[in-house]
Amino acid sequence: MKNYKLYSILFLFSAFILNSCTETYPLLTNTYEEALVVETTITNELKIQEIKLTKSARFEDEKYLPESGAEVYITDNSGNRYDFEDQSDKYVSTAAFQAVPGTQYQLHINTKDGRSFESSPEILSTVTPMQSVKAAIEKDKDDKRGVGIRVNSFDSGNKSHYYRYEYEETYKVIAPKWVRTKAVINANGALTFIENDPNTRICYGNKKNTNLLLLSTTDLKEDRVDYLVRFISDQDYIITTRYSILVKQYVESLAAFNYYSTLKKTSGSASILSPTQPGIVLGNLKSIKNTNDKIIGYFDVASVSIERIYFNYADLFLGEAPPPFYTDCQEFCYADYPFSPDPCTHSGGFYDDLMMDKISYYLNGRFYYWVNTPCGDCTTIASNVKPTFWVD
Amino acid sequence: MKKILLAFVILFSFQLSIAQNSNEKLSITFKDETLENAIKRIETATSYKFYFDPTWVNSNKELISGVYTDAKIDDVLNSILSKTDLNYIVLKNKVILTLNSTIHDTLPSNYFTDAPVETTNQNNGNDHSDNPVFYQQYDSLNSYSVTKKASIIFIGKENKDSVKKNYTVSGTVRNEETGKAEQNIYIKVRGKSINTSSDLDGNYTLQLPRGINVIEVKSLSHKEVVRTLMVYDDGKFDIGINERSNQLDEVVIKKKGQKTTETTVSGLVSIDIEGIKNVPLILGERDILKVATTFPGIKTTGEGSAGFNVRGGKDDQNLILLDNAVLYNPQHFLGFFSAINPYTAKKADIYKGSIPADFGGRLSSVFDITTKNGNPEKFSGEGAIGPITSNLTLSTPIQKNKSSIIFGGRATYSDWILKSLDDENLKNSQAGFYDGILKYNNQINASNNLEATAYYSHDRFSLSSDSIYKYSNRLASLKWDHTFSKKSKAALIFTNSEYKFNIDYDSNDINSFDFGYKVNESQLQLKLNYQLNPKHTLSYGIASKLYNISPGYQHPKKPEATLISTDIEKERALESAIYLADSYKFSDKLLIDLGLRYSYYASLGEADVNSYQAGLPLSDETVTGTTHYGKNEVIKTYGGLEPRLAARYFITEDFSIKAGYDVTRQYIHLLSSNVTQSPTDTWKLSDSNVKPQTAQQVSLGLFKTLKDEEYEVSLEGYYKKSKNILDYKVGAQLLLNQNVETELLQGEGKAYGVELLLKKTTGRLNGWIGYTYSRTLIKLDSQFSSEIVNNGNFFPANFDKPHDLSAILNYKFTKRYSLSSNFLYQTGRPITYPIGTFQYGNSEYTLYSDRNAYRIPDYIRLDIGLNIEGNHKIKKLAHSFWNISIYNVLGRNNPYSIYFVTDQNGKVKGYKTSIFSIPVPSITYNFKF
Repeated sequence: MKNYKLYSILFLFSAFILNSCTETYPLLTNTYEEALVVETTITNELKIQEIKLTKSARFEDEKYLPESGAEVYITDNSGNRYDFEDQSDKYVSTAAFQAVPGTQYQLHINTKDGRSFESSPEILSTVTPMQSVKAAIEKDKDDKRGVGIRVNSFDSGNKSHYYRYEYEETYKVIAPKWVRTKAVINANGALTFIENDPNTRICYGNKKNTNLLLLSTTDLKEDRVDYLVRFISDQDYIITTRYSILVKQYVESLAAFNYYSTLKKTSGSASILSPTQPGIVLGNLKSIKNTNDKIIGYFDVASVSIERIYFNYADLFLGEAPPPFYTDCQEFCYADYPFSPDPCTHSGGFYDDLMMDKISYYLNGRFYYWVNTPCGDCTTIASNVKPTFWVD
Repeated sequence: MKKILLAFVILFSFQLSIAQNSNEKLSITFKDETLENAIKRIETATSYKFYFDPTWVNSNKELISGVYTDAKIDDVLNSILSKTDLNYIVLKNKVILTLNSTIHDTLPSNYFTDAPVETTNQNNGNDHSDNPVFYQQYDSLNSYSVTKKASIIFIGKENKDSVKKNYTVSGTVRNEETGKAEQNIYIKVRGKSINTSSDLDGNYTLQLPRGINVIEVKSLSHKEVVRTLMVYDDGKFDIGINERSNQLDEVVIKKKGQKTTETTVSGLVSIDIEGIKNVPLILGERDILKVATTFPGIKTTGEGSAGFNVRGGKDDQNLILLDNAVLYNPQHFLGFFSAINPYTAKKADIYKGSIPADFGGRLSSVFDITTKNGNPEKFSGEGAIGPITSNLTLSTPIQKNKSSIIFGGRATYSDWILKSLDDENLKNSQAGFYDGILKYNNQINASNNLEATAYYSHDRFSLSSDSIYKYSNRLASLKWDHTFSKKSKAALIFTNSEYKFNIDYDSNDINSFDFGYKVNESQLQLKLNYQLNPKHTLSYGIASKLYNISPGYQHPKKPEATLISTDIEKERALESAIYLADSYKFSDKLLIDLGLRYSYYASLGEADVNSYQAGLPLSDETVTGTTHYGKNEVIKTYGGLEPRLAARYFITEDFSIKAGYDVTRQYIHLLSSNVTQSPTDTWKLSDSNVKPQTAQQVSLGLFKTLKDEEYEVSLEGYYKKSKNILDYKVGAQLLLNQNVETELLQGEGKAYGVELLLKKTTGRLNGWIGYTYSRTLIKLDSQFSSEIVNNGNFFPANFDKPHDLSAILNYKFTKRYSLSSNFLYQTGRPITYPIGTFQYGNSEYTLYSDRNAYRIPDYIRLDIGLNIEGNHKIKKLAHSFWNISIYNVLGRNNPYSIYFVTDQNGKVKGYKTSIFSIPVPSITYNFKF
């Protein structure tokens, strides 16, 4: 956006056609060097701690391979050693433990191909629990209404300063045009009607934050947090019925905070006229055998505070119509012109669309009436397994 | 009259067979007599009769005293005419006086070339009569184009006993109308490779051979003057010149002043501002700094970057002086336009190496830009109307021929265009700049001159509707030149500069704020010059500079804001220097400049200074304590010697070799986390945690002129090492950081290169071609892993562009039409390349290569400009000049930057940005009155 404006100004400057352009630039792939990616936050919560080890990938690779078969353990300065075992996509501690204040923890990794890495010793950050997580109607900076999920926290000791957030939202999805009857094409290729599975009516959607959510309070008068973790537009279907969000607040050390914010900066859309220096962001991990072995990640030892809240649409938006569904749920039928009375907006036959699960049966009248599949079957957009924590 | 008489006398002398009557003796006593009276008395006392032009005799005010008893007439005349320019010949009882010339009673034996040369008279060493000088030799082919009209000026008295080959002719170049001494006027002897130029006071000195010398006085702004001198002896000759009414000459990229082969400084680029007016440039804006970058060794990171990289130096290592005051940000609109008004600037000298000892404080270069003086005679002006800016320069005398004032102003009309738009987004955008300069000068008397300059530039832009960026330069300079004697001069200079920027973030958020930064410096400088003897010229001086920096404040704009009001502690320091330099003319061939500068820096309170735990990287967590220093209390001092050596040796008359060695120190650093300089970068002073930068450079150059200076060729090489070059940890937070030293890295730099320049200064086709091969490398190593980049090995700097070719060529079709072109080729600059991806959190990130391991595509651009001068009628309102330019004629999509973004789907994408990707035409109208 910024760039567009700048160029527009330059355009005017010239008073002639001035074409400054941004075009895609093909990435070279013959430059690949593999790096080990370490992702972990050891917290003060007593639990089986987890460490994720993956390999970096080429641009054309479809997925990220785990780094399996490595020896992974954490030591502390009291002489304890916490071993981790390979559990297909992650390493988990063989016993539950928690990080305690004042103790120094150090991560060690020896890969099966002989690379060795270790972290610098880290101590647990200040423990500052969240005061509250609240959902309320608010407006965003474009003046659009929605639900804001805000975290309040306060460190009277003025020591926390650097916060990182994670959230995981879960929301109930009810297929609005679910009916007891389901139309299928049977093995003979004929349209048949069967009883619909009741488990396709109510589902639970689940999403995690993708961006790093970081907050520093160093420029504020007090170490007080009022942070908008999540903003959901009032037109988003996920809040139609009942919504829940699990918010985790980590208090980070300055070094860890700098690591995360640098990572965030180097991946973001840079200002064209003053690009920041990209590069490998060095964390607290390093190779102890060969300095050319690349390692990415930060061995983070941070205090955590976790809170889950629920709200119903009706509680917040009293008497208001719910937001539109995931997709348009107007029923339609198939007919060819000129025999296409409203609502037969689709031409041709339903056969192919039904075969491809694009439509779902709704009702029978002058025609067969159909809806887009998610309107009749929520499993196409969410899971019908009720989460264990879910409270209605 | 004089001429006719002389011609008569000469012819007469050739035709008569002459016998001297030297028998008659006379006794006579003179006491404070005029020459006229003395002659009359000799006439009455003897039979001698004198023939002369009375004006010659009357112009001799010398009174004659002397006692002669039984003296020969020759002895008496020798004595009484010794202090005059008169010669004589005694023919029987006639005495004929001549001005300057001697009447020869014999022709030299080699006068007629086919006559056998007599060689018997060898032991008579004093006898120069074998080669007398005749200024008109009717009987031989005239090798000098002395036209009938050209009057001959005689220098000195012909002296038969003279043995010297060359004579010193000196004088002053003055404007005939104003009487003002003119500096930098180029004086050349036709057909001989003798030349000089007038110094600051208009004085010049030439070593001329005996006889006829045709002197040509050339300057862009003055009418050419040709004088024929008959040199008999050392003498004085003042030259009067007149300004050109219209400057309609071709583009002459001729370096005024000394020849490049002659000076000791090897890395000097001099830009004559008038000469650049035809160079095609972007959007029709004349731009001194852009022209500077076409010379070898001066580069920018790319289009739209504000800084310069001189011989591998960083952006902040250039001392940019406008009338002796530091200009902190010489660019407008993020580097697209120069902040230096090209209409008021007179010239720019850029020192890439061999920096003279009187300059200091920056590592890599000095851009010494001077402003024109106002027209001391009459009101005059100049202006230009271009697609982006308009420009007006006015000049008027205050006291005619004594003091004058010049004003130059520029402004954009982009805001007006933006406001008149319908597009909502653009309506709220702003982009504009203006600058103004005012210079006063007063030639108080022959030995005192006063100059004062005031300059202000302002930029304002807003790329998103809620924040407005503003930045401004302000500077003032006062200079008093005093001449104690011809040999001893002094200049007292006071300057003050301020640079500040401000971000006004105004949104609906309760935490809208006002952010600002300011640097201010004042310097007092005394420069002295003393010509000890013809071999030694000393220059020495002292300077002291006080810095005051407000490193940043952030003030919430609303009372209910939760944002803390931040004011980073002010920084203060004193930088002083003393220097002595001797320009020692060892021989005609060898000239050595020996300079020594000592700089001393003191970081001053009031301040709270952090001390950090030893053996750990500087970070907020390793602060062990804070020491408070009171106001003006010295916190930390640095200092050191900065030798500056330069030498020139003439291998042949037009071929010289030069060598230089210099050490420089820099106590102020620009903090910039970006690849290129931006207006919101801040300057930081050295203190106990940030060490000063130092550099050493050795350079060697070969300089040659060809075809009577029509061509200049130079080949220069340099090697530079620097220490404590500032760099930053990845993603450093530099603004509003109380402990900014925790984000800084100080590393080593290494740069070397070869620069080739071919220049054609005159003729229909003129211009220059420059090629540079250079490398710039940086090493960031530390005992702490967070401070190591690329495993602590040397890696290419952001502005390392090994191959750089520039060609600026002008072709003049007629007096009115000329075509100019500008071609540029550069290796693409290094970038850190994404080599893969990795997953972290729930998102995909880019895996980067080692820093600057790859390069963006090469940069190639051609610009063409057509210049049309207005008609040549003498009577017209204003002289006008059109410039039509096309920037990037080839329409090449030169990458400005390549960057990589993780998109919403978590996929990495590469983008290439070009700023001017198609040919950009523009037209500018210039006028002068």
